[in-house]
Amino acid sequence: MDRNKIAKWLKEPAKMANKYSLHVIYFCTGCGIIEIPPVITSRWDAERLGIIPVATPRQANLFLITGYVSVKTLRAIIRTYEQMLEPKYAIGFGSCPINGGMYWDSYNTIKHLDKYIPIDGWIAGCMPRPEAIFIAVTHLWTLIDKGMANGYIRYRENYEFYRRNQEMALGKLDWPPLYQIRSDVKAVENE
Amino acid sequence: MVAKIIQIILSPILALIVGVFFLGLARKIMARIHWRYGPPLVQPVIDIIRLFYQKSVSHGRMFDLGIVLSLAGSIVVVLFLPFGRICPLSSSGGLLVILYIMLLAPLGMALSGGQGANPNISIGISRKLILSLGYEVPLLLVLLAVMTHYKTISIVEMINVQQSSNWSIISWPLFLSGLSYFLILPAILGIRPFDVSSAPQEISSGSMVEYGGKYLALATIEHAFALFISIALFVNLFLGGAANPVIFFVKMLVVFVLCLFIHAVFPRFRIEQAIKYLWRWPTLLAFLGLIIAAATRS
Repeated sequence: MDRNKIAKWLKEPAKMANKYSLHVIYFCTGCGIIEIPPVITSRWDAERLGIIPVATPRQANLFLITGYVSVKTLRAIIRTYEQMLEPKYAIGFGSCPINGGMYWDSYNTIKHLDKYIPIDGWIAGCMPRPEAIFIAVTHLWTLIDKGMANGYIRYRENYEFYRRNQEMALGKLDWPPLYQIRSDVKAVENE
Repeated sequence: MVAKIIQIILSPILALIVGVFFLGLARKIMARIHWRYGPPLVQPVIDIIRLFYQKSVSHGRMFDLGIVLSLAGSIVVVLFLPFGRICPLSSSGGLLVILYIMLLAPLGMALSGGQGANPNISIGISRKLILSLGYEVPLLLVLLAVMTHYKTISIVEMINVQQSSNWSIISWPLFLSGLSYFLILPAILGIRPFDVSSAPQEISSGSMVEYGGKYLALATIEHAFALFISIALFVNLFLGGAANPVIFFVKMLVVFVLCLFIHAVFPRFRIEQAIKYLWRWPTLLAFLGLIIAAATRS
């Protein structure tokens, strides 16, 4: 460990521990998942940065959505994101979750993922190289340091907005709202 | 009196440090076997700190209490196990008490998981209990052989006899028993090829699936204690214990690294294959060992 990190550890243990222990739940929505095995195995070895895959959303704090999101998988993505424990971060991987990518005119895919769950960062490209995941993680470290990786706070504060968009895409949702819906507050538009 | 209280406080802390160190070492050695660089040695500590700072979701009263019961059971077992010469409760109990209290840890996990109401938990718990049915038979035979040979249930006396003569694994009457204990050690530790109950790829890490935040941190600490207990029991019974904690720690390290090599190269058994294996070779060896120990008893 770096010696000048020790002061940081003593000052902000929660932040540092969140940075260096990212347990990832990889969501195999599309073709992007093929870039994950080289990242977590011997070729690029994400574990040296404390990044390991876990099997359940309860243990994870980083959500990596790899590839296009069809309407059907959006339901599972929202459930998974809501089951993760705070603080939690979400990263969209590939151009499809950003703006639809090559599925820009498909009837069955979601074009802008950040209308439905808050995303802390994007990895653009079709496909991004595995190195791009490491660049994304270092960017996420910077964001955590500055307190800007606040997707889960935005989700709590603008829950009406997200819930309304989810209902528009999926029809009636068959699970109760995660947070209390304030009916008197006007839904905040996301940028 | 004061020395005893200090020992009672010190020995679980020592066990925790050793267990967490083993967790980190396991990840590092596994990485090196895979030709990776691997995480830093303190990675489990970082994980535990992160988990304690996370929000956690409870599933009911029993979900909270079960994990505490399991952790408490592990800590009590540690008090009965000699670590070098540190053994706060050496005069009372012995092997029989350890056998009884060792059941508390899986029982607590089962109680806690029962409230979780996730089908993966039920599958994980049932696999864990079936597996423990598999390794308890040879384990009981091995411990019976050891107690028959030394004519005592006190671990401290067994260590004293071994210190004055030979380690029991290289003395003839207990060689087969020691071999049998080593063969079932991966099953007791729950590592490959016996990690059926916590298989992440099959059943989403089984009984751990609903644990997050503080619960997962406590479960990790409990796992560290469990690692310590089963290896320390082997070292105490068969590798002659040790006169001081450092030598004891080195012996534990050797046993653990040997287990890790098995963990790194073997695929996972199915549950019925695991039972078939456990009830064949280790049980046969343990039974032969018991007969030899009973026959050579002077």
